[in-house]
Amino acid sequence: MSIQKAFLFLLAVAIALGALVADAPEATAQPATAQPAAGQPVQLHVVPSDGPRGGVTVNPTIDPDRNLHGDRVESHGKGMALLFWVFAAASIGGALFVVTRRNLIAAVMGMVGSFLGIAAVYMMLYAHFLAVVQMLVYAGAIMVLFVFVIMILNRPEDEPVAPTGHVGQVVGGIAILYLLFRLGMLLAHVHVPASAQLAPPPMQLPGGEVADWGTVKAVGSDLFSGGLFPFEAISILLLISVVGAIAIAKPLKDDDGEDADLGEDLATAASGAPHTDGGHA
Amino acid sequence: MSFEAGDLGWLVPYLILAVVGMVLVLAEAFFKGRDHTSLAGLAVAGCVASGVASIVLVRQLAGSEQHMLLGSMLVADRTSYVLSALFAFTTAACALISPAHQKEHGWKIGEYYGVLLLSASGCVMLAHAANMVTVFLGIETMSIGVYVMTAMRRRSRRGNEAAMKYFLIGAFATGFLMYGMALIYGASGTLSLVEMPAAIARTHNPGLVIAGGFLLVVAFGFKVAAVPFHMWAPDAYEGAPTPVTGFMAAAVKSAAIAAMIRVFGTALGGDITPFGALGWASPLVVIAAITITIGNITAVRQDNVKRMLAYSSISHAGVLLVGVCAMGLGSSSAQASLVYYLIAYSVATMGVFAVVSYVGSRGRERLLVDDWGGLASQHPGAALAMTICLLSFGGMPPTGGFFAKFYLFKSAMDVYSGQLLWVVVIGVVNSAISIYYYLRIVTAMYFRDSTQPMAPTRSAGLLFVMAACPLLVLELGLMPGFWLKLIGG
Amino acid sequence: MGDLVFDIGYGHFLVLAAVLFVIGMAGVLIRRNALIILMSVELMLNAANMTLLAFSRMWGDLSAHTFALIVIAVAAAEAAVGLAIVVAVFRGRRNVDVDRLTALRH
Repeated sequence: MSIQKAFLFLLAVAIALGALVADAPEATAQPATAQPAAGQPVQLHVVPSDGPRGGVTVNPTIDPDRNLHGDRVESHGKGMALLFWVFAAASIGGALFVVTRRNLIAAVMGMVGSFLGIAAVYMMLYAHFLAVVQMLVYAGAIMVLFVFVIMILNRPEDEPVAPTGHVGQVVGGIAILYLLFRLGMLLAHVHVPASAQLAPPPMQLPGGEVADWGTVKAVGSDLFSGGLFPFEAISILLLISVVGAIAIAKPLKDDDGEDADLGEDLATAASGAPHTDGGHA
Repeated sequence: MSFEAGDLGWLVPYLILAVVGMVLVLAEAFFKGRDHTSLAGLAVAGCVASGVASIVLVRQLAGSEQHMLLGSMLVADRTSYVLSALFAFTTAACALISPAHQKEHGWKIGEYYGVLLLSASGCVMLAHAANMVTVFLGIETMSIGVYVMTAMRRRSRRGNEAAMKYFLIGAFATGFLMYGMALIYGASGTLSLVEMPAAIARTHNPGLVIAGGFLLVVAFGFKVAAVPFHMWAPDAYEGAPTPVTGFMAAAVKSAAIAAMIRVFGTALGGDITPFGALGWASPLVVIAAITITIGNITAVRQDNVKRMLAYSSISHAGVLLVGVCAMGLGSSSAQASLVYYLIAYSVATMGVFAVVSYVGSRGRERLLVDDWGGLASQHPGAALAMTICLLSFGGMPPTGGFFAKFYLFKSAMDVYSGQLLWVVVIGVVNSAISIYYYLRIVTAMYFRDSTQPMAPTRSAGLLFVMAACPLLVLELGLMPGFWLKLIGG
Repeated sequence: MGDLVFDIGYGHFLVLAAVLFVIGMAGVLIRRNALIILMSVELMLNAANMTLLAFSRMWGDLSAHTFALIVIAVAAAEAAVGLAIVVAVFRGRRNVDVDRLTALRH
């Protein structure tokens, strides 16, 4: 159990360190309001992005100096870089923990660490609301569900990897690394529109209000205008999963009109062996 | 701007299925431990109402008229309504078969009917999908419902195991689907499938479109059970209760193809990607060719009827993928031919699985080909129904399957400079091979003596499906013009 | 090199997501325990969500946030059903090893 404790401890230290460093560049970035930080490409004059859909539109008339949160620059500066690397390491380390641990509880803990790191990365992408949802729903609810099931099964140890030959493992590993390399090269050189280098401007909501990008207000406004149908339709999906999960996992009773094990062997059925049809009164 | 009450009028088929499904979930609470025939009746009534609404609405639309609904999340056109009518029919047939099967095989779970209709509502959502959000949500609604239904024979080890395999593979495919959609969104900047072609045409990141297209090919390959991604299908088909297998083979596969029509045919089709710069069409054509061949060759070796039908449905998926490629490459008749093929295939599938659940009874499924010996002498009607549906699968002339294959391959030949000619040749050769194993069942039924007495499952609903499906198959083959006019081809 | 480390751009977020996706995919392929496979799938969905949010930020288009929210809800529903199936399988055979599911033969 010491490994995951150490891991959690490291994660906590990392978060604390990150929080400390985060203060510093923000203070220095504050006076240089409209100025992008050093190392920024020069083609920054195009500010408004080209028209997102729906009722939520970027209003080019909004004063660019208007500053709700004080974060003028996108994730530039050494503090942000350090934060990014810390949380990236947390999420990747947690993910590796999941796929390598024999102990299921350890895997779940790695998963929680990974999800917290991912939530922090969402914050850097200005997805504040999604970051909170990620923590509440994923790291909170779903992982607790996993822990419950692991406790029900009560068999934490498990053989770790599929027993394929060494050749298979090597070939598979090379294939996966190659895939990662190609995907990584593609994504690292993605063409970014110039307007996307700045912090996202505040948005004009239908009611005339202004909200910061990615906040509950802005996301909610989109959710209840363009995203209304999926938002409603997902309730059907949740109903299926609730009803279905109960129907599948409720305890077996002898008097619920179900027969005993009917998974009879086909071979015996074929050879004309007398079959048992339990429970047909 | 996005919610118009008038839009709901166009969505009546979907709403009926969803609402009746919810009512069924509630009603189940009052039918504990009793006969579920009345629940099945309500489910069938809902499906019929939904199907009738679809047919009424399809007559309101001119040939290529399209209505964008609810913030352009959904689209209403003739294809979507014809497909929703088809899904309603399939679901109704499934609900008609189910009560007798539940009684004979001991899995009386009342929640089944509610989940069935809600899952069908996911299929209908896919038929209407015009946005990646609705594509994703429709696929998930449908799939999660089917995972649940597969696991509903709770005391059967094989049922649970089938559900587990199906679920894990399906969830894996969902991961690919989401990542592919995210990459395509990155290239285009829009989630709407209708705005996608224009957005992709001016993208600066063509690499993302290609990578995303590949991932989507993998994801949909899993969903329709195309060959490198098919290993779950025979197990899931065999382990699931027979009516659910029918639903899986007919409705789920058709709905996945409906989503592919929207995603690959409309959004990523035209002259943007398909073969240019190694777009999605070249892997998909190869997958289609492999799928048709491997599906057929493996089916020849099966002794279990359900597994044989599973491999047969895999090879049908390959033929459908040829149609999707043809549509992406700009064949104008491909969409109508795909829809026609889906109709012929789904109807025959429901007929076949109705007969399969008729033959098995009292906890024994009688799935081996040997068990079917002498069926014709004892139950000539069932044998005739099975024969007609199997001939339709094989593409024999008087049935719908013949015309469907002919029309689909013809539309594939329309593609610019005969690029798909080689796949068409493979498809035709494989149709001939497939006749062999379909005839194995037919010869067993007609020319072999029965080894043991048969006591088939009898119920009015089951007999109705067994009578209606072969008649429809024949009608589809004899009068294709009416259906093509309905589809708008 | 300094740019790569200190100048965090979209490429960093996207490659991070790709790494998570590939780790999740490898987890599904190499692990045999159904619960771990399910967790790996959740990792893949998270990677997709991160990609979606990075591109959403890039295009200045909030509709992808709605999509990401829906994906999270779907993942929760899927986890619930998946865990129910795991419990049902475990009830019958006392382990959830994918390799030992052999009642259905090829």
